[in-house]
Amino acid sequence: MADPVKQGNGTPPVLQLLGVSKYFPGVIANEDVNLDVRPGEILGLLGENGAGKSTLMNVVTGIYQADAGEIILDGYGAEFATPQDAIRAGIGMVHQHFKLVPAFTVAENIHLGWSETPKRTSRAVLEARTRELSERFGFPVDPAARVETLSAGEQQRVEILRVLSREARLLILDEPTAVLTPQETRELFTALRAFRAKGNAVIIISHKLDEVMEITDRVTVLRAGRNVGTWATADCSPNMLAATMVGHDIQRQDLHARSGDAAPVSTAPVISLRDVTVRNDQNVVTLSDVTLDIFGGEIFGVAGVAGNGQRELTEILTGLITPSAGTILLDGQAAPSGAAAFAKAGVGHIPQDRLNSALAPSLGITDNMAVREYDRAPIGSGVLYRATEAHALAETIAEVADVTIPDFSMPVRNLSGGNQQRLVARREMRIARRLLVAAYPSRGLDIGAIASMHRYFASLRDEGVAVVIVSEDLGELLGLSDRIGVLCGGRMMAVLDSITADSEEIGLLMGGRTSGASVQTEALT
Amino acid sequence: MSRFQRFPTAPARRILVCRAIAILVSVIVVSLLLAMSGRNVGELAHLVLTSTIGSRFGLEDLALFMTPLLLTGGAVTVTRRMGLWNIGGEGQFYLGAAGAAGVGLFIHGPAILILPLMALAAMLCGMIWILLPALARAFADVNEIITTLLLNFVAGLLVYWLATGPWRDRVTGALASTERLPVSIPDLWGVVHWGFPLALLIVGGLAAIMSSTRWGYEVRISGASAGMARYAGMPVRVRIISAMLLSGALAALAGMFEVAGTVHRLQGGMADNFGYLGIVVAVLARGSCLAVIPAAFLMALILDVGIVLQTQQVAATVVLAITGLVLLLVAIADECAHYRVVTPATGRTVRKAS
Amino acid sequence: MTRTFPVLRKNALLLPERRRFLKGAGSLAAGGLLNPLAAHAATPILSLPPVKEEDALVAFGHTGPITDGGWDTAHDMGVQAVRKAFPRLRTVYVESVPYSADATRIFRQFVAEGANMVLGTSNYGDFIKDVADRAPEVAFLECDGTSVTRNLGWYYVTHWYPSYVIGIAAGLMTKTNRLGYVGTFPIPSVFASANATLLGAQSVNPACTMQAVSTNSWFDPQAATQAATALADSGCDFLCGITDEPAYLRVAESRGLKAAMWNLDMRRFGPNAYVSSVMLDFAPFYIEQVRARLNGTWKAAGNFLTMAHGVDRDIWGQTVPENVRTQADAMRDRILAGYSPFQGPIRDNNGAIRIPAGTTMNDMAIYQWDWGVQGMTGLG
Repeated sequence: MADPVKQGNGTPPVLQLLGVSKYFPGVIANEDVNLDVRPGEILGLLGENGAGKSTLMNVVTGIYQADAGEIILDGYGAEFATPQDAIRAGIGMVHQHFKLVPAFTVAENIHLGWSETPKRTSRAVLEARTRELSERFGFPVDPAARVETLSAGEQQRVEILRVLSREARLLILDEPTAVLTPQETRELFTALRAFRAKGNAVIIISHKLDEVMEITDRVTVLRAGRNVGTWATADCSPNMLAATMVGHDIQRQDLHARSGDAAPVSTAPVISLRDVTVRNDQNVVTLSDVTLDIFGGEIFGVAGVAGNGQRELTEILTGLITPSAGTILLDGQAAPSGAAAFAKAGVGHIPQDRLNSALAPSLGITDNMAVREYDRAPIGSGVLYRATEAHALAETIAEVADVTIPDFSMPVRNLSGGNQQRLVARREMRIARRLLVAAYPSRGLDIGAIASMHRYFASLRDEGVAVVIVSEDLGELLGLSDRIGVLCGGRMMAVLDSITADSEEIGLLMGGRTSGASVQTEALT
Repeated sequence: MSRFQRFPTAPARRILVCRAIAILVSVIVVSLLLAMSGRNVGELAHLVLTSTIGSRFGLEDLALFMTPLLLTGGAVTVTRRMGLWNIGGEGQFYLGAAGAAGVGLFIHGPAILILPLMALAAMLCGMIWILLPALARAFADVNEIITTLLLNFVAGLLVYWLATGPWRDRVTGALASTERLPVSIPDLWGVVHWGFPLALLIVGGLAAIMSSTRWGYEVRISGASAGMARYAGMPVRVRIISAMLLSGALAALAGMFEVAGTVHRLQGGMADNFGYLGIVVAVLARGSCLAVIPAAFLMALILDVGIVLQTQQVAATVVLAITGLVLLLVAIADECAHYRVVTPATGRTVRKAS
Repeated sequence: MTRTFPVLRKNALLLPERRRFLKGAGSLAAGGLLNPLAAHAATPILSLPPVKEEDALVAFGHTGPITDGGWDTAHDMGVQAVRKAFPRLRTVYVESVPYSADATRIFRQFVAEGANMVLGTSNYGDFIKDVADRAPEVAFLECDGTSVTRNLGWYYVTHWYPSYVIGIAAGLMTKTNRLGYVGTFPIPSVFASANATLLGAQSVNPACTMQAVSTNSWFDPQAATQAATALADSGCDFLCGITDEPAYLRVAESRGLKAAMWNLDMRRFGPNAYVSSVMLDFAPFYIEQVRARLNGTWKAAGNFLTMAHGVDRDIWGQTVPENVRTQADAMRDRILAGYSPFQGPIRDNNGAIRIPAGTTMNDMAIYQWDWGVQGMTGLG
């Protein structure tokens, strides 16, 4: 790890917040927050979902205006009426959801809404300028590529380059590694260190404590909208940070232990895949000859680097796609066709992209909670849909999910990601009599929420339901699953007993056991 | 310290208030423009009021205007719920009128039998007319805006051809329209026929279908999120086709009401842009079926005011300009409804937010 | 002089044709067999009470914009003459009244605003009749209309007479013996116009034939130009027609041909090609009808505006030879004296005799003409 550039004591912080407060009607989002970022450092900003991290960063970037307190930039007071003011002041933010125009090229996205974009220009000029920027800041991009064709990591590079090209001296990243592969994460960190080495500052919001420990110089923790402290990262441990975030010590539960009255692992598989192969629209094999039995009362983990067939496997298991070859058996019978039939047969599904796949963002909570049960009593009755019953169901789900909802007709997109995830999880658990398939269930959640999500899965397992969890986090898989299957290039490399498996072995399998195996394991430890 | 702040949602009441202000502003702008062109705004306003909502005659006209607007507005709203646009209301209106006229002209019998038969024939014709765009949308992902729009021109010419060719008025030797239909929708109140309360009922029924049937729920989900519809295994293609067929049937029914209630003959040009105005109504109604009723009323009022202004030597294009102005200001109002004055409520914590 | 047709029961069956049908196609009123309201036609004519000039309101509904330079401009000139003749009278008008339920609304609004007399300058059929039936105290007049009720009458120009006179000039001036006709829609007023011109030409030059083209629009200069060019290419050296604008006159001018026009004097668009025009003048008729309404002597009737009383040929163009003018004007004089040139035998373009020898087509029959005469192609 490169040393931060040493600064004299007289150098003011790049950004200093003094007593910043932000209120929404009836809600305190931030109160009396003090925070400073110095030149040449990377500051980690931690907090549970809803701790006020995003609001605070929106204040810093001029999207919201503080109701009280001061923003001090390089020692001088500053006020940002608009995001443009903040950009001009050298503050750039990369949001978790990229704000790029998919149909435009990289060069066009970089130059969009930028005062320095030449008035009369051409494609070639824009691309040349982009190439120059990309070299200057050390973020390699293909200027002519259309953004929609890029991977998440490449899109993030474009976003960061876009921010840096506006002469940003303070870069704010909101959960930057959530969508990245380990390799991409490593590349990002390398670039961030180079950016820091030039005397710039970075604020990074993350839930992944290991990454926070790796990349940051200091850590500020927010809880309930207030700053509970700032520490040098060297003085912190992941456990201490986690405890600070939630306000109490996290008890690591051994989730392998079954409760006394837990249902035993079933003798017959709940779902079986026999030589299942999936080809995508381009006729490329994305899942190859997978044969698998999953039993009731077990948690089956799926490990692998993203994009190695996980999506296809979850969609096969939930009836969203049909195999190009091979058969699926549900409780020993040929599986019905279609996702609705799978759901009816007791298969729940927590997909990777909750907001767009499992929810209708613009519709109310009630409509979103009814989607699995609208066709059965008491909500469905003949051709009818009973809105009052649907509302009662939504209230029930919100209550067990421990989500407070002021208005059930409010669009579900207005809920935080964590609350969306809780609601989807509870909705799916209600119908998962046989099987629950959860893809990246802890992504975007804070530690407390992850722990309760894991308890959900364990209790479901104890009821005799089969649970399939897809995750990139080997620790999560090893701590929770009974067996772990490793996917690489659409092939099920091996199915291991998680008690005896070690992460080294799994890492090798994820890398296809051959080239790059060592790289993979390094990224995952 | 208080300031304006944009909120992600706007409550219906705020939207209503903002829209009322928008309509008031458009009235003021129109009045100013008329005053600047040297007209006596007071007299004009009096005339406009008495000729629209201030007299039985005006109210009759409003109801007649609203009848087709309710149905074509409802037709577009149904597809909006599915995330689609039916721009072909005009064509389906024509086909509905043609289907109804065909039954009325060539099948003779008591009105009590013939009128429902005309309505059925109209809806069937409207559904046939939108079937191709619906199938193309569902199975080939062909943009329904283009296909439905282009079929409007075909439908318009088809009706011209019918009315001036095979179905022309042979009794009188006229070439421009069919004979007068032997049956008509009975009058209810002055020139207002029973189509008006029926159209209101249909829109109400539509609202009930949308909010209280499984079909309506599936259309709502499919329209709001294709991803979720796929995830839940909803039959999206079937819903696209059924929503579009329903839309076509509604617009066609508007044509039947117009031909059997108001015009009494099939003739070219009779659709009077009601199909296109239905889009405006649907936009004003913001996808809500019940809101189609006030939206259709507002549109009818604008059209009626336009007629009054025309007789006061204001050009017909002014009506278009007023419609555009109202739409623009309503759009601005909808956006303004998201902004609220925020005063820091220090100390009154209810819950934390992210 | 205006020939007034007494209201007879048979009028309900004698259904002539409207002029502007495809602009929206008003439906014909009448339908005596079907429409119980037609029974009004048999009721005794009652006159409406007189109105003081300063209290009266007369309303006009035009089919197009009054600036179209043709049909609607001609009507508006009549409106202006009314204003001049009755300076204290209030007049209002609406342009571009569509052939839809909107027409009914506009006429209803006229009534609601207190109009004593409402004129529709095109055939609005039921749209005007429905209003008239509900407003018995208001006088209604419909141009190119068909129904006569207690308070609704119609009027139309007998444009076939000047067309016949201009046809004589065409027959004398054509060298190829082929006349071209830029038609709009295959409707009776177009049949009457084209047939009359061809019959006039054949009366002096029996070898004359006519090629007609329908553009399906009253106002489409581009289509009219294409049609005229095609006619010229096929050997026609004399163009006539019934459009609202002078496109085919320009074609004739540039190709060195001759052309006869409609509605108004259009010689400025092609001074060398211009022969004459079917000139419309509604001013005397409008003044007379308004005066009758004010005096309380107005009666609903069907009115033909006759030669020199509302319709005539325009002053001959500068290139029309003296002998042509003399010969054509001789027929004009005979018509003015009461002669009708529309006498049998007249054959249709299949060669069958439609009007036997010794029979004269009266104006009503011409008003409903729906077949082409011998020598006509492209129409009927």
